[in-house]
Parts: sequence; C-alpha cells; structure tokens
Amino acid sequence: MDLQNLKGRVAFIFTEQDFDVDQIIGVKNIKIQDVEQLAKLAMNSYDPEFQSKVKPGDVVVGAANFGYGHPHYPPMRALRHLGIKGVIAESFSPGYWRGEISMGFPQCSCPGILAFVERWDEIEVDWRAGILRNLTQGAQTSFEKLSHADEAMLAAGGLVPYLKAAPVG
Amino acid sequence: MGHTITEKILARVAGLPSVKAGDEVFAKPDFVLAYDFPGYTDVIFKQMKEDFGIQRVAEPDRFGIFIDHMVPAATPAEEELHIITRTWCAENNVPLFERKGIGHQVSAEVGYATPGAFVVHFDGHVSQLGTFGALAIGIRRNLLEAFVRERISIKVPHTTRINLTGRLRPGVMARDVFHHIVRVLGPSACRFQVMELGGSGLAGISTEGLQTITGLAMFTGAITAIVNPDETRLAWALPRARKQLDPVCSDPDADYAAVHEIDLSALEPIVVIPPSPANTRDLADFLGIEVHAGYLGSCASGRLEDMRAAAQILNGRQVKQGFQLHVIPTSQELMAAAAKEGLISTLVEAGAFVSSSSCDYCFGRIATMTAGQRAVSTGTLNVKGRMGSPDSEIYLCNAAAVAASAIEGRIADPRKYL
Repeated sequence: MDLQNLKGRVAFIFTEQDFDVDQIIGVKNIKIQDVEQLAKLAMNSYDPEFQSKVKPGDVVVGAANFGYGHPHYPPMRALRHLGIKGVIAESFSPGYWRGEISMGFPQCSCPGILAFVERWDEIEVDWRAGILRNLTQGAQTSFEKLSHADEAMLAAGGLVPYLKAAPVG
Repeated sequence: MGHTITEKILARVAGLPSVKAGDEVFAKPDFVLAYDFPGYTDVIFKQMKEDFGIQRVAEPDRFGIFIDHMVPAATPAEEELHIITRTWCAENNVPLFERKGIGHQVSAEVGYATPGAFVVHFDGHVSQLGTFGALAIGIRRNLLEAFVRERISIKVPHTTRINLTGRLRPGVMARDVFHHIVRVLGPSACRFQVMELGGSGLAGISTEGLQTITGLAMFTGAITAIVNPDETRLAWALPRARKQLDPVCSDPDADYAAVHEIDLSALEPIVVIPPSPANTRDLADFLGIEVHAGYLGSCASGRLEDMRAAAQILNGRQVKQGFQLHVIPTSQELMAAAAKEGLISTLVEAGAFVSSSSCDYCFGRIATMTAGQRAVSTGTLNVKGRMGSPDSEIYLCNAAAVAASAIEGRIADPRKYL
C-alpha cells in the first residue's frame, strides 16, 4: 500500500516557532468533542474567512518545532474536517508528531519550507520521490524521509488499521 | 565506536547484538504503563477486545496501571472510568496502583524504574524513570501497539549529552537546572533525541532532583531523558526492581549528536513566564508581580527536597492573607515521610493547604483559577488554561520560590529567606 501524495494549496502558514496547535481552535474550546463545532471555531483568530477559502486537499505550513507545548487532538480534527490533508513544517515537536501520525494525518518535515512557499501556492508532496514541488513557482525541494513504520501507518490510515494490517513484530 | 546507554537497552529488547541511532527495530518493552484517562485507557481496553479480539494480556506482570488523575472523583462519569480501569486490571490480573500517588513517582517506588529496562507509557513525563537508567518513552496513542503486540516499532534515537559540572548554590534547585537547559540550548535542542545527563556535577544532584530534570525532558524536544546510574541511584532502584536486569551505561566513546557542558555553580533561580515552557527568564527580573495562588506539587516537583525547601522558608512565617498555597506531595509514600520529618505540620501552621497526592492540581481540575488570576507553580506546564481559565497565568519556578512568593503574595526571591 503506497502513501498517496499530498497535492493542494497552502491554505495557511503558521510562522510562529514552537507553535502551540491548541491556539488553532482556542484553548477555551479544547474540551469540545463535536467536530462540526470545532470546525466552526478553527482559525477564527488567524483568518475569520478561512472556512470559506479552504478547499478539500489543501495543506497548512508551519515553522520550526511545530506542535510544541501540550498538544491536544481537537485542533487537527477540526482542520481535517475542513478538508486539510496534511501539515508541512520546518520541523515538528515529537509528541505532536507521534499523536497525529497515529491519527493517520500526514506530516512532512521539510527544513526550508517557510522560504519555499507563499500562501495559496499549489504544492505537491511526492512521498516516493522524496520531493516537494511548488507547482505555482515551478520549484522543488527535498524533505526528511518518513520512518518505515510512520509511512506504513499513514498509508494504512492510522494506528488501528496499521496494527491490523502489520505483520506481528 | 561505542554505544550509548539507549542503544544498549534497545539492542537487548530488540534481540539484536547491537543497534545504532537511526536503526528501525521492533522492541519488546519490559514494562507497559498507563494512568486511566478518558480517550486513552478506556479506548485501549475497548480496542484490544473489539478490534484485535484480545481478551487478556499475555504477560500481566509487564503491565502497570495507575489511578492518579480525577482522584478523588468529582463526577459519576469519573468514577465510572475508574471502575472500567479496576475491572480491566482485575480481569487481566494486571497490577493496579490507586491512590498511591502520581504514577510516574509511584512507578519508581514500586520498581518499574528497573535500571536497564525499556518502559513505555502514553504520557511523556514517564521520562523521569531515566533517573535510574531506565529508557522510558511516552508514545501517546501508539501505546495501543504495546497492548496488542509483544513488540513495538521504534526508531533508535540519537542522543544529546549534557555534562553537568560544579554544584548548585543555595536557593537554586533542580528545576532551575532544567529550565536553564531549555534556556541555553533551546526548546528543540534534543528534538526526537534522548537527553542524556552526565558529568562530575551529577553526583551532587539528589535522586529527587534528577527525577525533576528528567521528567520535564519533553520541553527540550527530547523523547526521553536518561542518566547513567551511579551507586546512589542503583542503591535506590535495585532493591525495588521488578525484573532482574544488568544495569548498563554509555561507553566513553559513544556517538553523540551533540555534547554540552553546564556549570551548575553559575545558575540563578529561573522563572518560566506564560504561556510557554520555552519562556525561561531570570527570576530576579520578575520579582514583585502579584500572584494569587501557589502550587507545590506535580510529577516534576513535590518531593521531600521540595517540601523541605518550602518548610525552611515558611517555618515561623505565614502565607499572605488570601493567598492560596497548595502543597500536594508527589506520592503518599513521600507524604508519610514528610509527616515523619515534621514538614507537614510546619507547612500547615504557615497556612498551606496540604492534600493527598493527586495529579489534579497540575491541570486545573481542582484549585481552578479564574480569569485574571496568576499562580506561581512547580507544575509541569504553563500553557494557557492549564490551571483553569485561559485568561489566568502560570509562572513556573522552584519550590523555594513558590514558598517565598506565598509569604509576599508577589513573585519573590527565596534567597532572602534562607
């Protein structure tokens, strides 16, 4: 089973280092479970019109150590519900990375990404080739390869389907 | 080229003669730990049965479950979660530790911190078992893998070595060492790596202090922290160990991603200002800020040396009228020891509110702050909303600074009370 390429527009760029993802929905909303409600709250403090601008297939971009702090699951559940298919960042905080990979949500560690894309550029993450293409600007760059286990988990769609499909270690 | 302690432990549990950082292996955890928490244990217990058809874990002695959050329960739903946990542990014959204290401390007390062991948990603060030379990693929901498979997939991490030299001065504590590490190396210095502590200064730091430093490792980006255990740590851990293992240490010529030196004798008390554990500052620059609550406790702090430091400062003095000082020992064993030393009476007579061990103060489930309130805290974290309203604030500092601030109702330097 191959991991499908990410191909879409950069719907937002979080330029803050050590970004605490809970801010995407607001800390006061962190205990909300209903995904419709979460999606309505998402990104309000960054771009109030985000929800009308975003299209299924879009991705978001982050800075270094993305996901630092004490990340919870609701913010990314909200972004997925809005159609966001993955996150590309300069680098990631391990707890956040582990949590989202196990949810089957593609994360791509790409040093230099902030200088490489602008908001609304169309990009493609080609997992097999190890190349990230900026289709709008006609440029390409490389990213850090996924571990075998992370790639298999993403291809399977998350932790449970991965474990069901994986040979017993 | 030699091997790190991490590589040695993972080689053994992967059943391989040796492994190197970057290798992807399947490794059998010696111990699988968890505390009951909605969305984690209840889900794992359910998935085990319903998705994987596993009725019972094969080796119950490899597991350990803790009831330390939502203790005591405040709603029927919380008590129902605890019942699910008690039932599962009884059915599976898995050891359950309820109302013994915060699991990361209790797990050391009851021997899961076996030197040389590989331990997994969903919560990253389990890193503090590294004090005793165990490799203990928090893997969030991937913990399910350890419940339904004998081996889990893991990439052997690189190691950043931090050599400590010198000795801490009065009023400067282990917490300050950790916050200083974040300050000088940065909040992503050890990203995806193990933070290994060594150096001649290590022997001068108490075992409790090392539990503090290793328990906070995640805020350097590390997946865990580990100490090459010396005779003091081994004398504590080996008699309690749940498994016969040979302790291991890093080779002198082990390969490190980076090596740093920190001179303990140069450190000053640090305050970590809201809203991020990366915001490390000199305490001296924030003196006088009004604070309404103080928390001395958590899996990071709340041990005997923390209570001793607070008691020394509060002895014969009073907490400022209206200030809420909560002292929550990290475990019941530590609370009993503190009582025998007379620390509890000193703290209570000074006006502290002292309660049995629980995680609940650290994440605002109780002693909840409202908008505009500010706390000094030895908790793990100072992100928005951690101890109540998103519009309250948390200043992290050492136990002595919490005690001094409680006297003044303002952020205070503990050294003037020593």
